[in-house]
Amino acid sequence: MTVIDTVTATAARAPVRLRLVTLDRLRSAALPIGFAAAVLLLWQVAVDIGGYPKVILPAPSDIASALAANFSEICRQAVPTTRDTLAGFCIAAVLGIGLASLLTVNRLLRDAIYPLVIVIQLVPKIAWTPLFIVWAGIGWPSRLTIATFIAFFPIFMAMLAGLESTDGSLVRLCRALTATPWRTFWLVRFPASMPYLFSGLKIGITLSVIGVVVAEFISSSEGLGFFILKSAALLQTDVILAAILVLCLVGLASFGLVHLGELAVRRWRGD
Amino acid sequence: MTAASDYVVIDRVAKTYNPGSRQQVDAVTATSFSVKAGEFVTLLGPSGCGKSTLLMMVAGLDTPSTGTINVAGQPMAAPRAETGIMFQDPTLLPWKSALENVLFPFRAMNRPVAPFEGRAAQLLDQVGLAGFHDHKPRQLSGGMRQRVAICRALVYEPDLLLMDEPFSALDAITRDEMNLVLMKMWHDHRRTALFVTHSIREAVFLSDRVLVMSPRPGRVVEDVAIPFDRPRTLEIGETAEFNRICAHLRNRISH
Ligand SMILES: Nc1ncnc2c1ncn2[C@@H]1O[C@H](COP(=O)(O)OP(=O)(O)O)[C@@H](O)[C@H]1O
Ligand SMILES: [Mg+2]
Repeated sequence: MTVIDTVTATAARAPVRLRLVTLDRLRSAALPIGFAAAVLLLWQVAVDIGGYPKVILPAPSDIASALAANFSEICRQAVPTTRDTLAGFCIAAVLGIGLASLLTVNRLLRDAIYPLVIVIQLVPKIAWTPLFIVWAGIGWPSRLTIATFIAFFPIFMAMLAGLESTDGSLVRLCRALTATPWRTFWLVRFPASMPYLFSGLKIGITLSVIGVVVAEFISSSEGLGFFILKSAALLQTDVILAAILVLCLVGLASFGLVHLGELAVRRWRGD
Repeated sequence: MTAASDYVVIDRVAKTYNPGSRQQVDAVTATSFSVKAGEFVTLLGPSGCGKSTLLMMVAGLDTPSTGTINVAGQPMAAPRAETGIMFQDPTLLPWKSALENVLFPFRAMNRPVAPFEGRAAQLLDQVGLAGFHDHKPRQLSGGMRQRVAICRALVYEPDLLLMDEPFSALDAITRDEMNLVLMKMWHDHRRTALFVTHSIREAVFLSDRVLVMSPRPGRVVEDVAIPFDRPRTLEIGETAEFNRICAHLRNRISH
């Protein structure tokens, strides 16, 4: 094929491929949105026709108006929830990555600490919540501690698994090249563990939200968990669902932040 | 038989894994040989006869149970920065480009990278990877990855090149190609080389001398000089002399 042939052929094919890609994208977004819309519509129609009491099952339109009526209050309550979630998650990430790194570099520490972490990990973490409230009081420190505690384990376990899964032959190559253990860690083990770490971070951020909301249920005077519990006492089902909707958005946004972090790290690694 | 020009001297080296336990393995029994400066020597033997074990000890990645290894007049104790090494797999960082992988030794040794970028690029061009500097390992074929590994072993200009069956995972055609590439690179960058293989033809094609090892526990049982002039082409593989040497080596391996 001559150069001209190639250029013409590419030019002729390009718009078709572009259109296919756009269609594909559209399809992958339109399908779930369409499905959700259909469910909401069905829900609305079912409530309107069936005439269920609003306290048991409010219609989507009721939830929307409850959200509009309580919007500023819900947003105000979302602030401490979001803050504690992110702060707890960040502390858990630092501790998890740090401890996993330390245990990979030092064999003795690993053998001493790792079995204990596994044992603690086996206890349902949420069961510790009342204890943390006894220790740290009913303010934000206890909620932060719980979020940190619950998010720590998946991050730590994933990071350790990632660091230990590093290709042994790469480590041997580093040794042959007279790299120090620390350089081997930084050049090979750490970057190799990134996919593992981010799967752990994604679980961690999800658990962090759960930890904060549960802590707000148990004892708090602020936050979406507190607000939901208060609304439940007043039987305001539509307000509860409006608050849950906002909580969903908080969770989604936090998850999105982790995903952005993953993209940034991929760029740093040179993927 | 130690002469002044001997660069690598293996003196009655033996290696026993897990001594005293039920899993005790005598991998290498007291064996001695030496490699002269600038010489290309191949260790040839059946699988499991201790070739890798010997090579890893010369690399300083493993220590002999008894005996001593001298490289460049120094007893081997730990890996040295003047040794280049190639393994059976290319062992590239999957997230780095070909060029970055070639430069990796400088990062590992904590030396500045920038001054060597030109040399790394030039090496990649020499092994026929001119258009592939920025490709990731997964975008390269097995042979191309091993070419990157050759460049990585040469880029810091080591005085000794150790290669452990670097081409045995490749298909026959690619393997012939890689033998030619290695010959060319070795010719241009003349280094002392110790090569390990279980392929008789590969050993004869590449080497100045072939050392035949016995089955486990391995030791060198024969030292065969290969008389062909350099540079060599694949055609020497069809000569009667080449095939005579191969037949002789095959005989020595199976007794
Ligand atoms: N780390 C090790 N621990 C125990 N046995 C080993 C170890 N490495 C190699 N061996 C044993 O030593 C023998 C020689 O191995 P190796 O040097 O890899 O052979 P070759 O490279 O010639 O195929 C084999 O029987 C192998 O099982
Ligand atoms: Mg081997």
